[in-house]
Amino acid sequence: MAERGEGPAVVRELASFRGRPSEEEVTSYVGMVIFLGSWAMLFAALFFSYALLRARSPSWPPPGDPPLPVLLPGLNTLVIGASSLAVVRGVRAFGLGRRRRAAGALALGAALGAVFLALQGVVWAGAWRAGLLPSGGPYGSVFYALTAFHALHVLAGLLALAALAARVLAGPGPGRTRVRLWAMFWHFVGAVWCALYAAVYLA
Amino acid sequence: MSTTAVALAEASQPIHPPPTSFWQRYVFSIDHKVIGRQFLWSGLVFLLLGGTLAMLIRWQWAYPYRPVPLLGGLVLGKSGGVIGPATYQQIFTTHGLIMIFFAVTPVLIGCFGNFLIPLMIGARDMAFPKLNMFSFWTFLVSQVLVLASLFTDLGSAGAGWTTYPPLSTNVGMPGLGQTLIVAAIFVTGVSSTMGAVNYVTTVIRLRAPGMTYMRLPLTIWGLWLTAILNALFVPVLGSAALLLLLDRNFGTQFFLAGAAAVKGGGDPILYQHLFWIFGHPEVYIMILPAWGIVGDVVSFFARKPHHWYRGTVGAMVVVTVLSAMVYGHHMFLTGMSPLLGKGFMLFTLLISVPSMIVVLNWVMTVWRGSLHFDSPMLWALGTAFVFGVGGLTGLFLGDISMDLYLHDTMFVVGHFHFTMAAGSFFGAMTGITFWFPKIFGRRLDERLLKAHFWVTLVFITLVFGGQLLVGYAGQQRRLFDPFQYTFIQGLRGLNRWTSWAAFVLFAGQFLFVWSFLKAVFGRHAEAAGPNPWQVTTLEWTETGSPPPFHNFDHIPLVVRGPHELSNPEVRDLTGRDFAGQAEVLPGGGEPALAAGKG
Repeated sequence: MAERGEGPAVVRELASFRGRPSEEEVTSYVGMVIFLGSWAMLFAALFFSYALLRARSPSWPPPGDPPLPVLLPGLNTLVIGASSLAVVRGVRAFGLGRRRRAAGALALGAALGAVFLALQGVVWAGAWRAGLLPSGGPYGSVFYALTAFHALHVLAGLLALAALAARVLAGPGPGRTRVRLWAMFWHFVGAVWCALYAAVYLA
Repeated sequence: MSTTAVALAEASQPIHPPPTSFWQRYVFSIDHKVIGRQFLWSGLVFLLLGGTLAMLIRWQWAYPYRPVPLLGGLVLGKSGGVIGPATYQQIFTTHGLIMIFFAVTPVLIGCFGNFLIPLMIGARDMAFPKLNMFSFWTFLVSQVLVLASLFTDLGSAGAGWTTYPPLSTNVGMPGLGQTLIVAAIFVTGVSSTMGAVNYVTTVIRLRAPGMTYMRLPLTIWGLWLTAILNALFVPVLGSAALLLLLDRNFGTQFFLAGAAAVKGGGDPILYQHLFWIFGHPEVYIMILPAWGIVGDVVSFFARKPHHWYRGTVGAMVVVTVLSAMVYGHHMFLTGMSPLLGKGFMLFTLLISVPSMIVVLNWVMTVWRGSLHFDSPMLWALGTAFVFGVGGLTGLFLGDISMDLYLHDTMFVVGHFHFTMAAGSFFGAMTGITFWFPKIFGRRLDERLLKAHFWVTLVFITLVFGGQLLVGYAGQQRRLFDPFQYTFIQGLRGLNRWTSWAAFVLFAGQFLFVWSFLKAVFGRHAEAAGPNPWQVTTLEWTETGSPPPFHNFDHIPLVVRGPHELSNPEVRDLTGRDFAGQAEVLPGGGEPALAAGKG
């Protein structure tokens, strides 16, 4: 019972010395994994809807609907991959205490996210001009709903990354858990994009 | 070893001073106990609202076209108190939605999940207290959206609680009310998901030292499995609601078909898939917490360890897994491939095996126990009865050849009211009467509660039994005036009797309302003391009633399972017939420890 007072301090020091996550940090990671699993089910249901509509449709794309571009979204896949890499570097630099480098990498990740959104905007504009409208049947509905819902996630992620970069640069900044959790979210959004690109644009 | 584990737990959950300002303490609270109470109140208020709507439906089936007494002039002034067809549609739609999403869910999952999980596993709070607070406030927003929908121009949603398109699209329900309700479903889904992430993480990460999975009280098993189902399947409902909102407001065509869609269109059946992929797990989301609560309560009030604890846990896990594989039995009549239909039928009927294991374990626990018929025990046994009836009628519906005839009849309504309504409600009442002393630190009036129980048991059986009977005789569900069909006219008497049983049932609920309000606000309510039921789990044995802000002064070291009752060795050592989960028995307690593992 005497250890009750001093035990925790020793444990905490040991944990920080080894760079291992503390109990609270592990709890946060577990929570984030469950949350992302939950969110993955949301996207899975959207993909399921797409698959079912496509399976029921006599031809896909329906006659008269323009084919979707492949190259520009492909480039976007590279952009979001690169931004994930930048975030990985940012997290690593932050863990080593190199604040300027970490802030730079996170900002780069956010900027690449913005590039992604811009390119996606170009794709939308092109499809719209070619006559593909959300109200023009299930083909357009699926395309706009899935990409727009994903883009909202990109927007949320890039705003968070930008805010984190600013806070890392400004002062004592956020804890490393916060940085890592947003990084996990960002990788998740990137992974969803890969599935989306394969399913909506390529298949 | 064990002191290190306790030290580690203490270090990761330090005691924070309780907030002092009123707002932080009672309104924007991050304390799981306050949030649990908030869910309880908001759920009970909506339970009363949903019950009132049910009375209107019953009035319509007993005396169609006659003005509703008392309530009619108040809420149906324009029509002189008569329920019109459109109003009737909105009444049964909002009744279902309110009961399921905004009454039973907050009480069973929001209140018990929040209040009990940290206390029963020996934690100081949830894993993410702020997320917990957001979960409640998001839920409140969804309730406000429901209320707002009642005041829109064309009235609230009217497409049934399942919200099937094309009726739920702009073609069938052009009003703002339907949009608000679909938005409310989405928002409450977000709230449920936040809660679920919190519960699952809390049980995985914050169990007190020594609280192994096989020492968890069954209540926690039920709530945890529920949270897992919620985390996985509520997002599917979220995506269905999202696509429906897009269809309604942004012109997409996921669910529109035929003349409403210009270019081929989407598929209304798609919505049914999404809805029931969520909807069938939802049935178990609503009953698993009740199962867990009943499992613990029958053990406590029979003063016996739960019979085959591991079997019950295993059966509940199997039900959880199977519940995700049976949703097609809601869609036998959609033109589904017969082979697929048979697969769904097989899994559906298979669920009855683990369900029976759970129920038989309750019976075996009660068998030759020394029974104490306090109100929680009455409710627990009542749950076993109504759920049994509901489960057995489910076999008919799970079988394709019978379902062809019974589909969309009142038989379905009776079946799911016995399981989801009566089963969940009885489970919730078991929990409320059992944990009320812990939640509010006071005792309920036992005599009023018993009267309430018997009134409810008798009349709820009559009401839902009446539904089963008229359904078996061929009355379809949701009919505005069933008696416009010649073959249903003979059922007028039965419908009327059922309605009168429902009115008595509703009136009987005020016995509970009265005893509840009296105990919470009354001056003369008896203080509960820390452990009024003389039971074993941590919330009763290791802390006061109500527990302090930080729950436990010291995080308990759990040494035995949750049902250490009537152990002769414990009685020799302590003179009591129970031993707390973290209680150190005099003389080291080695023998009792050995007896009580698991």
